[in-house]
Amino acid sequence: MMASGSSATLDAPVAARPIRLPRWSVGLFLLLPAVAFLVVFLVIPSLTLLSYSVLTQSAAGDVGLPFSVSGYGRLLLTPAYQRVTVLTLKIALLTSLFTALLAYPLAMVIAYGHSALSRLTMMLVVAPLVVSVVVRTYGWQLLLGSGPNGVVNWALGLFGLGQVSLQILYTEWAVVVASVHVFLPLMVLPIATSLSRISPSLNEAARMLGASAFRAFLRVTLPLSVPGLAVGLTIVFSLTAASYVTPQMLGGPRGLMLGILLEQQVTTVFDWPMGSAIATLMVVIALGAHIGVTWMLNRRRAAVPAAQGEA
Amino acid sequence: MRGRLSGLGGFVTYTMAVLILLFVLAPLVVVVALSFSEAAFAVFPPVGFTFSWYETVLNDPEFQHSFLVSTLLALAAALTAFALGMPAAYALDRWRVPGGGAIEAMLLSPLILPILITGLALLQFMSMMRMMEASVNLFIGHVLITLPYLIRTITASLKQVDRSLEEAALTLGASPFTVFWRVTVPQILPGIAAGCLFAFMISFDDFPISFWLADVETMPLPIYLHSLMERVFDPSVAATSSLMIVTGVLAVLALEKLVGLRKAMGV
Repeated sequence: MMASGSSATLDAPVAARPIRLPRWSVGLFLLLPAVAFLVVFLVIPSLTLLSYSVLTQSAAGDVGLPFSVSGYGRLLLTPAYQRVTVLTLKIALLTSLFTALLAYPLAMVIAYGHSALSRLTMMLVVAPLVVSVVVRTYGWQLLLGSGPNGVVNWALGLFGLGQVSLQILYTEWAVVVASVHVFLPLMVLPIATSLSRISPSLNEAARMLGASAFRAFLRVTLPLSVPGLAVGLTIVFSLTAASYVTPQMLGGPRGLMLGILLEQQVTTVFDWPMGSAIATLMVVIALGAHIGVTWMLNRRRAAVPAAQGEA
Repeated sequence: MRGRLSGLGGFVTYTMAVLILLFVLAPLVVVVALSFSEAAFAVFPPVGFTFSWYETVLNDPEFQHSFLVSTLLALAAALTAFALGMPAAYALDRWRVPGGGAIEAMLLSPLILPILITGLALLQFMSMMRMMEASVNLFIGHVLITLPYLIRTITASLKQVDRSLEEAALTLGASPFTVFWRVTVPQILPGIAAGCLFAFMISFDDFPISFWLADVETMPLPIYLHSLMERVFDPSVAATSSLMIVTGVLAVLALEKLVGLRKAMGV
């Protein structure tokens, strides 16, 4: 690829051509439709929505000046709303931790397993990803149903454990369990990518020097898979914090998350400044997770020379 | 790289993987099992075996309409996202456009922003513009969420293109356009097909965008199914869900056939 500077000197004798566009102008032209589409339908609408959080709503429902942060005030200072924010963060944190624990064995089989088993695992992991979250959450509604109607309780009864009836439907735990299920593929894929890029000789060296398989995993494989893990944790955390369907169908009043609060404020209360403040908080949580993790990975890459080959 | 799981560690890993896969499959299996139940309520265990719920669902005009809406919407969104995404991905791969990094970050930003917020922002914008036609709003919303997936898969495919073949064709006198069409495109075609199929499924399964933009006349399948769950309690809901599961499974098999799932997912 030619630098634009050198093409300028080459063009110098050709005085007949008045305008010489730089080479990258073709690229810019090709980018234009997609960029224009996103600016019109994503950037402007998002900024408009977020701007409503610092404006006031008149009695007639119109949003405009003067500036006010009362939406944020209510969202962050009312104890009931504080609880929703804390619960949202707690559910997102628990979900991402449990997802990471469940993802490693699957990612190990995909990256290192016997070829046929690796392909089969890959299919079983990706298949739920292309099944609507509504369907998967419905499955959890059936599984977690209280009393003898729930599949889990029915199975417990089958094993003579009828008295240990599971009562987690319409609590935050039902949301955590289903969210782990919904977002597991998005944790497995980046971890498997990281794992398959680790040179096998590193693990062999550890084993040859006397480390047990588990210790070699703990001290060699696991640290080298951190970039994939970090990507997975970020995605799962921010998607869980922004979810709507799962808490709506499984959470009940005890699993009230920010997404549901947002929907209530917009469609039932018609309080746009408040709804917009919630939306802004959700965007801040998502972006905060991404920026924070990217920053930590960059620091780690600078600090650990051995980690540089991973990306 | 293969077969590195052996001995006790391998056994433990495989056993855990099998248990976790049971957890992964459980909700889907339960839904499919109940769709064949003869009982009047979707309650476990299923009773008997019948296809009658599928008959009910497939003959239901509301289901047929939603299925048609979702299919057309996903096709239109995936193809439009391709038309916008293909030149963009090509430009990002081949030209050093000033601010290219920022442009790429913006093109991929719908992946990071909460989709629920993207949908709400679009709804508010469209009502400000007095644009209340649900089918158009849904189409725009679905292009927004499928575009970043297509740009990502096409960029990944372009990075794997053998550039020496292109140079050889250019040296032998082919025009840049012929090189693109006869040398580059055949190499990225499987990746493009996989990207389009995945984009189709993202749109077909979407809830949080359609949730804001759909209306009673234009109801995509996930929205219709969600409303069904709140008013119908017989196994026809499980049958509708099972049809969506089958669509997903077919898509995964097609992806595996087209390019191999690991490549399609970038693992």
